[in-house]
Amino acid sequence: MDTVAEDSIVQEEEKAARARIDYKMVTFSLRGKDFGINIMKVKEISKESKFTFVPNTPAYVRGVHNLRGEIIPIIDLRKMFYLPVSEKRDNEEQEEVIILRLANDLIIGIIVDAIDRVLGVAYETIQPPHPIFGDINIKYIEGIIESNGRLYIILDVERIFSEEYTIYQQIDTEAKAHTEPLRIPEPEKEPTFNFVIETLKTFSSFHVSDLNRIWVEERFEEWEKRCKTEGRQTQLQGTEDAEEFLKSYYSPYTGMMWGSDYQENLMKLLPENPSGSVFIWNPGCGKGFETYSLAAIAKIKYPQHRIKVWANDIDLLSVSTAPNMILAKEEIPSYLLDTGLLKEQARGFSFIDSIRDSIVFEYHDILHHNEYPEADIIVARDVLSFFEPESQQRILSDFQQKLKDDGLLIVGKNETLPEEEWYLLREGNLIAYKKEKS
Amino acid sequence: MRVEYINPFVEAAFSVLKEVLGTEISRGELYLKSSSQPMLGTTAIVGLTGDVEGRVLFDMSLQTALAIASTMNGEEFKSFDDLAKATISELANMITAQAVTKLHDLGFKFDLTPPALFTGENMEVLDTDVEALIVPIDMPLGKIEINVAVRERN
Repeated sequence: MDTVAEDSIVQEEEKAARARIDYKMVTFSLRGKDFGINIMKVKEISKESKFTFVPNTPAYVRGVHNLRGEIIPIIDLRKMFYLPVSEKRDNEEQEEVIILRLANDLIIGIIVDAIDRVLGVAYETIQPPHPIFGDINIKYIEGIIESNGRLYIILDVERIFSEEYTIYQQIDTEAKAHTEPLRIPEPEKEPTFNFVIETLKTFSSFHVSDLNRIWVEERFEEWEKRCKTEGRQTQLQGTEDAEEFLKSYYSPYTGMMWGSDYQENLMKLLPENPSGSVFIWNPGCGKGFETYSLAAIAKIKYPQHRIKVWANDIDLLSVSTAPNMILAKEEIPSYLLDTGLLKEQARGFSFIDSIRDSIVFEYHDILHHNEYPEADIIVARDVLSFFEPESQQRILSDFQQKLKDDGLLIVGKNETLPEEEWYLLREGNLIAYKKEKS
Repeated sequence: MRVEYINPFVEAAFSVLKEVLGTEISRGELYLKSSSQPMLGTTAIVGLTGDVEGRVLFDMSLQTALAIASTMNGEEFKSFDDLAKATISELANMITAQAVTKLHDLGFKFDLTPPALFTGENMEVLDTDVEALIVPIDMPLGKIEINVAVRERN
């Protein structure tokens, strides 16, 4: 009786174990470590040799192979992951190849050290990748699973190859878009260039798009040269590197009162305004230096007008300090001296009430609804690049809508707006745009 | 949301809750929300008008509301009856009124509407064209989210 009961328990357990298999994976080893790939991605496995070498490809591309009439690329996964490959191997030797069928019917063969077995996997037993598996970029890892005392790293092959694939597609379309070949980075530095783009996004949430691509490409060349002479890595290692890279991106007088040259340039660009009131919108105002500069310059240019400045930022800490800004004497630019726009206080100088009252500082997310009247001037210097490309588009079209017909949009010195919609006005180091008349 | 308005609301919520409940309270990270937001179930609303227009919501779960009402009245509430409802409305009124007093001192003129209370499940609130500032407040009795949506009259 007992044994029957035990048997049925054992059976139940086996059944449960079988039921827990959500998918199967093909396992293989690379330099003694165990890896797995979802079997649904695997078309077949085989032993192959004599791959046809293709010139001018990345080192990890072993060549192409004729698989029953179909030409497929062969990738050496060890080289791709920068794992050591023994030198003895020559092209004659048989290699273990896993042939993958990915999304869009993309067929790719990958070379591994040894194909092991097929293993059932339950989703609940997969553990998230841990940074300790350092040799392979963590985003290519779906998870880790333990089976019979061995740890398998499950690779996300779709991700590994779709990214490579899209990078090349991108370059292809870029190459078509630009007629001047000078602007396309040379092939051997593409991976680093793309890596830099990725890391800028991660460390500084700086998004590369048409808005700033010209600058990023120039800066990358400069950066690469400098890194070579200093003997350091071109790749950005952390937030510090990313900020260092972006240092020359920021416009003049970021985080301080605008200087006299900038003020003069702006005065030249500001149109006569017969309406009697001036509306200024200043998204991304930060600690408010830009906003006060603007309000003061507007007051100098239009002494009789009613001036209203709407300044907003998503950084609560910075924008909270903005209304009570106090300047030290040496921080005051010369065009504000003796204008009576500043008054002395116990701890320094602050703007007079009529200037302060003309500004409304708001804690606001520009991606939400922007409830502002039509503006004569919009100042958004070095703001757009810190949004994702789709959001950049959205904000730009919002600017297009919110700007009066003869209004000025002032952007950062390294930002380029689309020619079809914006007409460039440049005055020294000040970059401004007007709406292109439709 | 104008930055000068933020602190009065945060401070008022803090000091009123501390005083009437006599418990530890801590403030979570402030953030902004637009589009429609789910509510926790028991919500008092106080309208603002004057230099600005908008409203303040005090949003909590039914358990939290009962616990707060019990503490404020010094008796155990089993159901959310009229007295409990009046207590929550009054709490909302006290916090908003204190915030508005602080704003008056800064030179902003606001008036309040009488508080109203909503209860129900799966409620959502949508503010057209106004983004809301969320002040999350954690207490041993539960969590209150203070949701301020005001805009300047142009």
